[in-house]
Amino acid sequence: MDKNIFCTPNPVNDKEALDALLRDKRGQQYYDEMKRLKVDTAALQKLLNDTCRSRIRTWLEICAHCGMCADACAFYLSNDKNPEQVPSYKIQSTLGEIVRQKGNVDNAFMRYAMDVAWGKCTCCNRCSLYCPFGIDMGVLMSYLRGLLFSQGFVPWEMKIGSGMHRIFRAQMDVTVEDWVDTCEWMIEEYEDEWPNLKIPVDKKNADIMYTVNAREAKHYPDDIAEAALLFSIAGENWTVPSEGWEETSLAMFAGDWEGAQLQVKSVYDAMDRLKPKRMVVTECGHAYRATVIEGPYWAGLKSGKTPVTTLHYVEWVAEALRSGRLKIDPAKKIKEPVTYHDSCNYIRNGGLSHIGREIMSYIAEDFREMTPNGDHNFCCGGGGGLNGIGKYRQERNTGQKVKRDQILATGAKLVITPCHNCWDAIRDLEETYKIGIRWSFLKPLLLDMVIVPEHMKPKEE
Amino acid sequence: MYNLLTGPLAWISFLIFFIGILIRSSLYIKGLDSNIDRVTYRVNTLFGIKEAVRSIFFWLIPFSTRGWRTQPVMTLLFFIFHISLLASTLFLKAHNMILQERWGFCIITIPNVVSDYLTIAVIVTASILIIRRIKLPQVKILTKRSDYLILIISIAPFLTGFLAFHQFGHYTFWMLTHIISGELLLIVIPFTKLSHSFLFFLTRAQLGMDYGIKRGGMKRQKGMAW
Amino acid sequence: MFKKILFATTGTPSCDAAARVAFEMAKRYNTELFIINIFGIPSRSFSQVITDLRTGDEIDLHDDQLAKIKNKLERRYKQQIRDYNTPHEIVLTDGIPHTEILRAARKNEIDLIVMGARTSTQENTGAVNRHIVGRTLQSVARSARCPVLIIGRAAASFWGGISNIVFGTDFSKGSNQAFEFAFNLTKMFNASLHIFHAIDISSGPFEFTKNQEVIEDRIREVRGMIRKRYISKMEGYNDYEIDVWEGIPYVEIVKYARESFADLIVMAHHTKKMAPPEESVFGSNVEQVVLRSNAPVISVNHPARQKKIDNQ
Repeated sequence: MDKNIFCTPNPVNDKEALDALLRDKRGQQYYDEMKRLKVDTAALQKLLNDTCRSRIRTWLEICAHCGMCADACAFYLSNDKNPEQVPSYKIQSTLGEIVRQKGNVDNAFMRYAMDVAWGKCTCCNRCSLYCPFGIDMGVLMSYLRGLLFSQGFVPWEMKIGSGMHRIFRAQMDVTVEDWVDTCEWMIEEYEDEWPNLKIPVDKKNADIMYTVNAREAKHYPDDIAEAALLFSIAGENWTVPSEGWEETSLAMFAGDWEGAQLQVKSVYDAMDRLKPKRMVVTECGHAYRATVIEGPYWAGLKSGKTPVTTLHYVEWVAEALRSGRLKIDPAKKIKEPVTYHDSCNYIRNGGLSHIGREIMSYIAEDFREMTPNGDHNFCCGGGGGLNGIGKYRQERNTGQKVKRDQILATGAKLVITPCHNCWDAIRDLEETYKIGIRWSFLKPLLLDMVIVPEHMKPKEE
Repeated sequence: MYNLLTGPLAWISFLIFFIGILIRSSLYIKGLDSNIDRVTYRVNTLFGIKEAVRSIFFWLIPFSTRGWRTQPVMTLLFFIFHISLLASTLFLKAHNMILQERWGFCIITIPNVVSDYLTIAVIVTASILIIRRIKLPQVKILTKRSDYLILIISIAPFLTGFLAFHQFGHYTFWMLTHIISGELLLIVIPFTKLSHSFLFFLTRAQLGMDYGIKRGGMKRQKGMAW
Repeated sequence: MFKKILFATTGTPSCDAAARVAFEMAKRYNTELFIINIFGIPSRSFSQVITDLRTGDEIDLHDDQLAKIKNKLERRYKQQIRDYNTPHEIVLTDGIPHTEILRAARKNEIDLIVMGARTSTQENTGAVNRHIVGRTLQSVARSARCPVLIIGRAAASFWGGISNIVFGTDFSKGSNQAFEFAFNLTKMFNASLHIFHAIDISSGPFEFTKNQEVIEDRIREVRGMIRKRYISKMEGYNDYEIDVWEGIPYVEIVKYARESFADLIVMAHHTKKMAPPEESVFGSNVEQVVLRSNAPVISVNHPARQKKIDNQ
């Protein structure tokens, strides 16, 4: 039997291995190799003994099989109520089985578990609000992902993503040089219209340290410039770190807890180095979840909190609007019907539901809520890494039907999505279902609406 | 026979029941781990306790959570079943008489006719729960044989108690089976899914603390919208 | 004047005219030629699958595929590569087209970007990405630090002797940069410079458009402005003309260019804001002129790299 080259329990730790893996078109060879990947049952059993404690065991055990979680799941509803999509079934037939068998499971079972863990759940945690016992199947699924990753049963893109974080400390191949260069480029790009624009790199003791999603540096550098403009207009004393600038964590989606730890430590190191008063995270949901909510635990911080107070971008926007540091020109408020998509990762799992509403009250004249919304909002299908996994693309697209219908019911054609993965997912949703909507981050909309102070405007001749 | 069942065996089953609850609860709490669960149970504990209390409270009140509201039939079934089950057991005159006899105290009691209706309610709702398991695909797929077994163990004391009380057929036979099934129920509670009767409070509290401490609790304006 | 030229192409027939100019110029001015093709946009989040800009198909980002795309490009420009024999480099990348063009121009210190212009009807693009295609020209012309030569119609693709240069001004700051560039070109080619402004009567107060006297007053005023602002800087170079017409600016400038036998039109693309997606193809005067004129159009907006050239 051939030896596995790509599909092994070992994570990708160097560029050579990463490039080789990338050359394997859509992971064809990778998935072929997976079919003969041996399950190391002893290691799995040990991992269970070390990490599967009373919380998870109890959840799995006391589940009364009542089925009340079914209607909570966007995938269940989108798939015409296919019983195989009932959250409890998804977790009982995978993690439940592994735990009951004490890790004695075979290759086919692990591949089935992978199909469920990444193809049928975005870890949006909505079902946790519908279980009378408070069983959080998103948490269980995430734990299952960790087990699967440790054995090498992980989708190709997730393996790559985790490798990117381990090598670049970013979800894409963006180096520190690329990042700093992009910041400089953006200043040049905008200097004519915004002569005083600065993106201070590595400034110590600033009020705000701003961190982003690597996709901004790689594909959407204007997002960085827009953030810089809004900080400047609000008169903030801010900075970006040269190292530790990346907030996201595909490692979290992959269940690669070691990679996730490496990633968040780079951000916390930047905090220690630059000593900012606060940190602001860009409009990204899972980045906030990873670095602010889960990250302190991965890094072993006893407080459970980031070394300095951290705000999601929407919190900063709400604060700036509330305090009047950003002023909206009333004539330029959004007139058309507009809706706000709640990102699971910082609304349900971050408690910022009211912040979104507050912002909308300042900027929109005809704000339409989706039903349900806030803590109970449905996932758009972009969570849990499902946006980027080719193998489960169809499952993801089908799973978006609930969100599609929610948006259609509002009658709004503009969807505000202050989260990168949601933004992508809503875009994909439009591509698949063609319902004639537009979608936007907050930054470009705000820039169209804010009153620019005189000193920021270019001098007229 | 009667003496054996209500004497040593009753003692044993109550001991197993209470000690089982104690051990399982303490094992649960002991097994909670700030790092592995990623919830700082000991830091910002007050935020956690607040949300834990809310989490339990709202789920104990019918229609007070969105989950209850969106599934009204299940909610009615659920509450009628559980309330009737607890009330008819704890407040039954006969049970309280035994308590008074043995330990010299009793809880409040309800008229026998009410107990009767409550017992019927338990049996009826349990039957509907069984039908639900068979009929609804989303419940059927989850259901295992043990789920039926547990339901049967749970309603056996009610059914037998009811038959004994109304003296259908052989009173002593039903009385003895009632006692045996009741004791069996007590014994299996700590070791089966029925442990939810007390672990419910702990798992709900845990999730409350999770949301209260870590997942937005300190930023969420009015507490979790359960 | 030009040391490095960046030719941005979709690798399709719509860019053939622009290719002709790019290779011709590279040869004539002995410059390095960078050929950049942005073959797809990231549309699968962080994954390695991207969407083909023209067909909407999925492409995989890996070596074989890149080699295939490169091969295809080389085949399309085989003849030019052979005939002109200029040093060239093919840059393939995925991304948002205008971002990648601007990034490459900055990185390689490009002096001139050459690109084709196309309408949305010319090619069937993936529906969701259509506005991205439409926006590329607009964004590049607006933000590039170097002049951008845009070839709209095939008729505009013969970069031969330059004897008549039309400089269309709207007196914006960008126009100052455009003038400097137009004047330098004029001197270089020993050409005649036609300085032109069109008074926009398609909008504005009714009284203004109704009254021809008011318009003619304005014309006199503008001629004075042109003398003061531009002629004064021409160091006695006297092969120039000043013309001010009234009408719809982009129509007038196209008519004027035709009448003056223009070989080249120089304008500023100073639109501050991006036009909304549905209008982006016809977003500004520059794009309108590009689509209508038989002469190539150079858009100049920014001083940065221009200054450096002056110093050389």
